[in-house]
Amino acid sequence: MRVMKNKKNLITQNTMIAYMLILPALLVFAIFMFYPLFYTAYLSFFDWNMIKPLKVFVGLDNYKALFSDPLMPLVIKNTVVYILILLILNCAAPYILAFILSFVVKKGRGFYKGAFFLPSVISLVVGSILYLWILNPVSGPAAVAAEFMGINIPIWSKTQGLVIVVLSIITTWKIFGYNFIVIFGGVTGVPQEIIEAAKIDNIPLYKIFFDIVLPMSSATGVYIFIMTIVQGLQYVFTPIKVVTQGGPDNASSNVIYDIYQEGFLLYHTGYASAMSIAAMVLFVILLVIEFRYVEKGIYYEN
Amino acid sequence: MKKNILKAVAAALMTASLLTGCGNDNAGSEQSAQGDKVKIEYWHVNAETQGGKTVQELVDKFNAQSKDVEVVARYNPDMYKGLMQNLQAEAAAGKSPAVVQVGWAFLDYFSNNFTYSAPQKIIDKDFSDDKNFLQDNFLPNVLDLAKNSKGDQVGIPYSLSTPVLYINRDLLRQAGLDENGPKTWEELIKFSDTVKKQTGKYGFYMQEPADNWAQQALLESNGARMITDGKASFASEDGIKAYQAYADMVIKTKSALHISWDQGVQAFVNGDVAMLYTTIAQRANVQKGAKFDVAAVSSPAWEGKPKKLPAGGCFLAITAQDEKQQKAAWEFVKYLYSVESMAAWTKGTGYVPPRKDVADAENGLKSFLEENKMMKAATSQMDSVVPWASFPGDAGLQAEQLLLDTRDKILSGSISAREALTQTQEQINNLLK
Amino acid sequence: MKIDSSLKWHVLLCIALFVSLMPIVFAISTSFKELSEAYGNVLGLIPHNPTMANYLRIFQELPLNQITLNTVIVAFAVTVFKIVTSVMAAYAFVYFNFKGKNLLYIILISTIFIPFTMTMIPNYLIISQIGLRNNIIGVILPQLSDATGIFLIRQAMRSIPLSFIEAARLEQAGIFHIMFGIVLPLAKPAVISTGIMFFINSWNEYVWPVLILKDTANYTLPLALQLFISSEGGTDFCVAMAVSVVTMIIPLGLYLIFQKYIISTFTSSGVKG
Repeated sequence: MRVMKNKKNLITQNTMIAYMLILPALLVFAIFMFYPLFYTAYLSFFDWNMIKPLKVFVGLDNYKALFSDPLMPLVIKNTVVYILILLILNCAAPYILAFILSFVVKKGRGFYKGAFFLPSVISLVVGSILYLWILNPVSGPAAVAAEFMGINIPIWSKTQGLVIVVLSIITTWKIFGYNFIVIFGGVTGVPQEIIEAAKIDNIPLYKIFFDIVLPMSSATGVYIFIMTIVQGLQYVFTPIKVVTQGGPDNASSNVIYDIYQEGFLLYHTGYASAMSIAAMVLFVILLVIEFRYVEKGIYYEN
Repeated sequence: MKKNILKAVAAALMTASLLTGCGNDNAGSEQSAQGDKVKIEYWHVNAETQGGKTVQELVDKFNAQSKDVEVVARYNPDMYKGLMQNLQAEAAAGKSPAVVQVGWAFLDYFSNNFTYSAPQKIIDKDFSDDKNFLQDNFLPNVLDLAKNSKGDQVGIPYSLSTPVLYINRDLLRQAGLDENGPKTWEELIKFSDTVKKQTGKYGFYMQEPADNWAQQALLESNGARMITDGKASFASEDGIKAYQAYADMVIKTKSALHISWDQGVQAFVNGDVAMLYTTIAQRANVQKGAKFDVAAVSSPAWEGKPKKLPAGGCFLAITAQDEKQQKAAWEFVKYLYSVESMAAWTKGTGYVPPRKDVADAENGLKSFLEENKMMKAATSQMDSVVPWASFPGDAGLQAEQLLLDTRDKILSGSISAREALTQTQEQINNLLK
Repeated sequence: MKIDSSLKWHVLLCIALFVSLMPIVFAISTSFKELSEAYGNVLGLIPHNPTMANYLRIFQELPLNQITLNTVIVAFAVTVFKIVTSVMAAYAFVYFNFKGKNLLYIILISTIFIPFTMTMIPNYLIISQIGLRNNIIGVILPQLSDATGIFLIRQAMRSIPLSFIEAARLEQAGIFHIMFGIVLPLAKPAVISTGIMFFINSWNEYVWPVLILKDTANYTLPLALQLFISSEGGTDFCVAMAVSVVTMIIPLGLYLIFQKYIISTFTSSGVKG
């Protein structure tokens, strides 16, 4: 009860200051985000290719076409697969790594932290070109090395499914380090004494992880979870563009790339606009669900 | 501590604004120093690995000798697709460069959607001395490459490439084959199998970029036609047979590689593939990287049939809007087509000169071609050049994309060439309606 | 027993490290190779004939100092501006009550989900209308409309115990005192980690500058890389790697300098998402 009362006192009613504080951000958003967005929404009702003098009003046709597009199920499926793989590699894996480094292995912690972060400062264009060479299944260094061990690397860039995995790995290489460092910060927030006590009680590591560490660092975890979904999908755009251009037969295309392809390679501006509006709505719904169900269980320090 | 950080931030912002301010000042003074010169933009796609340096040299030379025109070259990454994107954005902003390189696959899309001036029109209006420039200096079949589906001369062919067959002679010898490579596709298929059996390495790779250029050469040389009277027609018996033969190498005998372009070229240069079918524009790259006995031979033909090789590269279109700019644009374009400039262009890029008399002229390419035997593979097949199929209308680009998806389907073996090509042809013709 | 189990973990960690660092070593090694060796000697990390030619070439052919400076200005300006506006906005969202607060917040945050390709063309029109094409300010401006910072910093501020602020309030401390004296120091880890992310992202931004910048003198580093990549003429892999290494140096250096500080702030209090 007391807390509630305090909270009320705390929040100032001086709205002028609040608006002043938000104004700079809002100004930038109005020009470079909201206006373009309205423009996009407006365009989604037209058949246009950006340069024709005449925009043809087509009503909801672009949205209707969206639902009958034979590619759409595949693209959405790919998007989901990307999200799942990215979550495993960029959310679950760094979590486990952070746990190991904070509570299991203590020697060389600083070194590992620094080293794992390194790739995340490098551009994904560079990363994509690098991996294109390194993972060349016929003559890249990975293939040459694998040959010594008698392993043949499949031609992943032309294999359905596998191509998504490899593109996710390239993206992971880039964002793993940042996620790891942030999660590490969250995980070390869990008091050592609790862990030590659990260890003394001979509680197995996985139990410590799931029952103590995960719940107690869930705030950080959720943040990384969301960022992986949102940013991961945008990040993966670059490898797709550099390595596969959505191929083979759209097997590596995702929603973001498909919008790009429709809008900037095929110049279906209206259709691409409709697609981005739909994608946005979809993501916002996901976000709301996430806030409704996950946010409740989050552990905040106060 | 905090104050220091704030100070540093403020100082940095100041420097930043000063520096960018300086940039603007420079631009201003540049213009005034050049007086009344007409400034025009030339958009190209030539990376440093593909003649970017030559573009700059040509532009610099032109600017040095021209009294009233100043050309600024702008590089567009991601090839003709990237240039088209930028041009699209520029047009949407109501602006336009004066001269642009347009890839053949965009011929129809470009002429349908952008404002351009036919070169002959500008010539007739302001340059009566050049009246016969085009007709005197270009072969008719070459000039026709830049005609759209309505028959308008949209621009002038500039960068011309044709597909050639690069061969790893060491590997061919090792497999007991003729080190001069195959002459026909039938031979090539046998060669490829033999290499696979004898050496365990791949026999053949045909380029698989985001276009169907090389595949078009394969099909059309067998008598098929990509487009007939504005409709897709590649799924003829000849077309299906040719595609299936290619797919069989990949799927059945596994002697040919099905992989992305960069990786395929890398594999060849590394010595893991015996024959590489790709553009002559890769010559410098292949030559520089390969450590084995490498050669280039002319594109194979199907037995008893004439070769039909699509022209790669681009044509130059004049997109300048006002008359002053258009005049300046023609002056610059004309300069680019002089024998010396053309020769420099071929040396710098590996493209085949579209103009007559460059190959044999003393101030042209005579000595260069004698030294660079690989170029001969391309220059000797110019009479087989046909236009790169560019599907007409607004759906043209999508049609091309469908054909790409089909390639992946066929080469993955999930569907026969007959079924895939027939389906796609129908799909494309529905789109083009 | 103890040593054994920790050794096992170290082996695992080292394998993971190898996978993650190998590409960088490979890039550096290749940048000192000749093209024929890059093809022929893929496994050799130490070039047989080390050459500086790739670096000489890019320094001779490109105004690399100017390009690097441009990149620094862009990344720095974007980072500072975004951090300042995000902190201000986040502060308002956490500690003030005003009409339309929740709605405004949700609208702002939703923009994180918008694919960048869709705002590109309208933004291009705006930038050309205000005459900022071929100008790095034109590169900077649209990058500023990013709500990630507001989201992150708000989350961090929310987890600052209200009792701290209450105490300050009771002492009649002004808003600036509370903001700079209490909230910011406590939200510092989040602010710093967000800032690092902004800097790195802006440093490597490619899609937008490529549309805006024309002259090599105005280029940023990721664009310079594109000069050596061509599907049709082939990519000069060694030169491309030399440019890549140059592109890496500054963010890498910054990280190494601030590493201790960054990691210790992270670990002392963690990012309380």
